[in-house]
Amino acid sequence: MPIRIDRALVGKEYPAFVVTAERGKIKAFARAIGDLNQNYVDDDIGGASAWGDIIAPPTFAITFRDETADAAALLRDLGVDIGRVLHGEQEFEIHRQIRPGETFTCRTKVVDIQDKTGKSGPMALVTRETVIVDRGGEVVGTLRHVTVVRL
Amino acid sequence: MKYAKVYGEDVKVGDAIPPLVKGPIAQIQLTRYAGASGDFNPIHQDDEFARAAGMGGVFAHGMLSMGFVAQSVTDWLGAGTVRKLGVRFSALVRLKDVITCTGRVLGTSEKNGERLVELELWAENQRGEKVVTGRATAVLQSRSA
Repeated sequence: MPIRIDRALVGKEYPAFVVTAERGKIKAFARAIGDLNQNYVDDDIGGASAWGDIIAPPTFAITFRDETADAAALLRDLGVDIGRVLHGEQEFEIHRQIRPGETFTCRTKVVDIQDKTGKSGPMALVTRETVIVDRGGEVVGTLRHVTVVRL
Repeated sequence: MKYAKVYGEDVKVGDAIPPLVKGPIAQIQLTRYAGASGDFNPIHQDDEFARAAGMGGVFAHGMLSMGFVAQSVTDWLGAGTVRKLGVRFSALVRLKDVITCTGRVLGTSEKNGERLVELELWAENQRGEKVVTGRATAVLQSRSA
């Protein structure tokens, strides 16, 4: 029986969660990609830069997650198994650079659900948006995740 | 030359992003990326699980490929230049794949005293199949600033 996706999920907001960008995690993330840019991994170079410290690579905010608001929470709401989903699209808007030790509040909501027929058959595209705000209330970045659910 | 300082005046429409070659993709890199990113979906680690899900075996996190694409931009234009980055994952990246990331400059503009560069980006595997396509906006300093 085909899976039915509940359109009422559009607009759902997940609980806000707080994260801290840890120095070691920034470096480990850069190294896992194999991106050894000194601005990400060298404290001396970072300290002498315009930012005054190392900065996070452009996609680092993908590590800001909480089990109450992550892809697994979405899958529970959709009622689909993790083996049925693919990462379809991803977007980052970066308003300013993330530095070690900074604490942010992240808010994720479901913003769109679309039906589509792909190579492997019918699918639903579920778009979530995560807004990252610093302690001063400034939006430092916005992520858009498109999850493909194979129906 | 890697990490040379690039100014807004140095970049023209049609310029190519110097190709960045990544891989061959090894299982250990996917395990390492899982740990670094917090994405422990077994579809990237457990071949049996991935086959049972109809995916024909493990494949790389899309976000790892996006990290490669981002690196192709920052290797050229510098760390901290990416203002916006959006991609579509168009094909799976498998173990042993070699991924080449490149792209070109679509446009340049000035806004509020900043020089913005619009980029078209893509990554392809060793068979020339596109695995990621996307766009980015980077901000560069002016030589006169």
